[in-house]
Amino acid sequence: MDIIELRQVTKKFGALTAVNELDLKVPSGTIYGFIGPNGSGKTTTIRMIMNILYPDQGTILLFGKEQKDQRLDHVGYLPEERGLYKKMKVYDVLKFHGELKNGKNIRQEIDYWLKKLDLSAWRDKKVESLSKGMTQKLQFIATVIDKPGIIILDEPFSGLDPVNAEILREALLELQKAGSTVIFSTHDMNMAEKMCDYIFMIHKGRKVLDGTLAKIQDQYGSDTLRIQTELGADALEGIKDIEKISDFGQVQEVRLSAKADSQVILADLMNKTRVLKFEVTRPSLYDIFIRIAAPERKEDNHA
Amino acid sequence: MRKILIIALREYKEAVKTKSFILGLVLMPVLMGGGMAAFMIFRNKVDTDDLKIAVIDHSKIIRETLEERARYRNENEIFDKETGEKVKPAYILDFIQPDTINAFQQRLDLSDRIRSGELHAFVEIGSSILHPDSTLENALIRYYSEHSFMDDVRYWFSDPVNNHIRQLRIDEMHLSPEETRDLFYYINVEGMGLVEVDKRTGDVQDAQKTNELESFLVPYFMVLLMFMLVMMSAIPLLTAVMEEKMEKIAEVLLASITPFQFMMGKILGSISVSLTIAAIYVLGAVITMKQIGMDAAIPYHVLPWFFVYLILSVIMTGSGMAALGSACNDNKDSQNLQFPAMLPILLPLFVIVPVMQNPTSSLSTWLSLFPPFTPMLMLTRLATPVTIPAWQPYAGLAGVVLFTILSVWIGGRIFRTGILLQGQKPTLANLIRYALKG
Repeated sequence: MDIIELRQVTKKFGALTAVNELDLKVPSGTIYGFIGPNGSGKTTTIRMIMNILYPDQGTILLFGKEQKDQRLDHVGYLPEERGLYKKMKVYDVLKFHGELKNGKNIRQEIDYWLKKLDLSAWRDKKVESLSKGMTQKLQFIATVIDKPGIIILDEPFSGLDPVNAEILREALLELQKAGSTVIFSTHDMNMAEKMCDYIFMIHKGRKVLDGTLAKIQDQYGSDTLRIQTELGADALEGIKDIEKISDFGQVQEVRLSAKADSQVILADLMNKTRVLKFEVTRPSLYDIFIRIAAPERKEDNHA
Repeated sequence: MRKILIIALREYKEAVKTKSFILGLVLMPVLMGGGMAAFMIFRNKVDTDDLKIAVIDHSKIIRETLEERARYRNENEIFDKETGEKVKPAYILDFIQPDTINAFQQRLDLSDRIRSGELHAFVEIGSSILHPDSTLENALIRYYSEHSFMDDVRYWFSDPVNNHIRQLRIDEMHLSPEETRDLFYYINVEGMGLVEVDKRTGDVQDAQKTNELESFLVPYFMVLLMFMLVMMSAIPLLTAVMEEKMEKIAEVLLASITPFQFMMGKILGSISVSLTIAAIYVLGAVITMKQIGMDAAIPYHVLPWFFVYLILSVIMTGSGMAALGSACNDNKDSQNLQFPAMLPILLPLFVIVPVMQNPTSSLSTWLSLFPPFTPMLMLTRLATPVTIPAWQPYAGLAGVVLFTILSVWIGGRIFRTGILLQGQKPTLANLIRYALKG
């Protein structure tokens, strides 16, 4: 069953079409990753799902029906920019959000989540005394305090250190196991690859990718090499049939042209230097993102 | 409604549990009462250093009287009767010969002596004060000092001089003491209420004397209280909403509540705050007036109107403020809008005195039926001892209710658009656009 469905949804702001004839189906119980460059329409799409903005055209179904002009008690929403009353105490702010969402057993839920996200010691402290990362975790708890069926998170990992990002990732997986459907937007392609059952990419208001990671990668074939050599990126100088090099320092990700032969490239490299790693693979989500969002970038091209 | 109440409860708790609220609640009457007490205490605490005043008496008829009056005052009126402590300065009069050739130079010299601190003031008494000529040129008494407007000495001169010359004129007319008394017997017009019939007993009740407290202080206190409550509870909504918008709190909440619920929750919180303060102050005023035996001046019949109009005024003003706050993007926007937005509650203050003086005039009636002004001006009219037509408070109420509904409707439409828009200036054209398009 699709728990969220968008049918030909369009939203304009004056002359700008922020979202253009968007179709999307989110199956229940999955984790769906929204990716796209800044200003591509991710937040607008999320706001329309949340009924904060209304589409100019098209239909949005949640739990199988339109929810126009209604507030969604079973949908948790973490906006891109966090906003909590700074003068309220941590417990009070969570109770306030829990009550607004008509949550059950709020007190127990608050205690559970504070402990899980390592915030119990801050229970009676004011929000303004928390660090940015703590505030982010607190906002996350406020989002899920009523055990919502759908959890929509706009950039949940931005600004979190790896330890806290890991805690949040585990929490999301736990919520998914408990039956929640999770949608989150992110610029962290690595996290999206690891966590998401489905990836959805929006660019200039239009859907450009939608499906499982494997299905998306299949569209691009095995045209990518991951190479590690003693010479680094310099080893690739003068090698033919390379379309693009993404240099990560220790590792270089190389996109091959259609006529390229990976064995010839391996032999050329071995003539030049010691090859530490040579992997023929499908493009990463990061590479696919760059191919779609910045096809005009030429500086790394080695055609 | 449940969500509106949750928002309202948070607003109320956050407002009343702050130290500044409690401090303000306690301090305001203390400051007001303390201000009056301080005025009473310090009004007699003046500088007791003797004041030297030069007198140029062109009339040559007033010196003896003034010296006698000054001596009497210095011996009897400047000491505390119980403690014998000197509480006022003595007036030391120095009569100097008028310089008829160069009067201007004499005044300049005396002015310089005042400036140097040698003299407090000088007085010039005209030559024909007893029988003023047609031009009245020489029938003047001029008091020269550095701050003559607020100077007690100036007022002190008036009585002895005028009483003396009046007595001299009477003496010239050879009037008997009885004739003199009759001549100067001044009759005040006494202010009375109306004669009424007691509805229970049927007895005719004589009219009561109206007093200053009933006619002026009671309506003034009630209107000022309402003004203050609206200022304390509804006006801050503008900046509060603007901050919630800028800090993205609004976006988080709008996932759970509609913009209308959000706005109404905030307004309901403001009403609760204002009612709390009103209840405390009104109860305090009633108890105090009873304690000091002024029960009769308590306008019990006006109190229900006070609370009804207060609630409507907070809703009316609050919805406007919340709407404007939602359209603002920064402090500068809100500061620019604050004053014009306050005009509907500021303007009635400018016409309170004429309305109190004549509560049944056409001006008072029509101004008090203009919905934005009704809460304050109809309350003013109701609180005076004058009976206004019974239908008018109800007509005013109907107008205010309709206007409040309209304010909330328009405010709600502006709010739901403005709260999510960034970077749009809160111009009149934009506000109208938000209101029309919703």
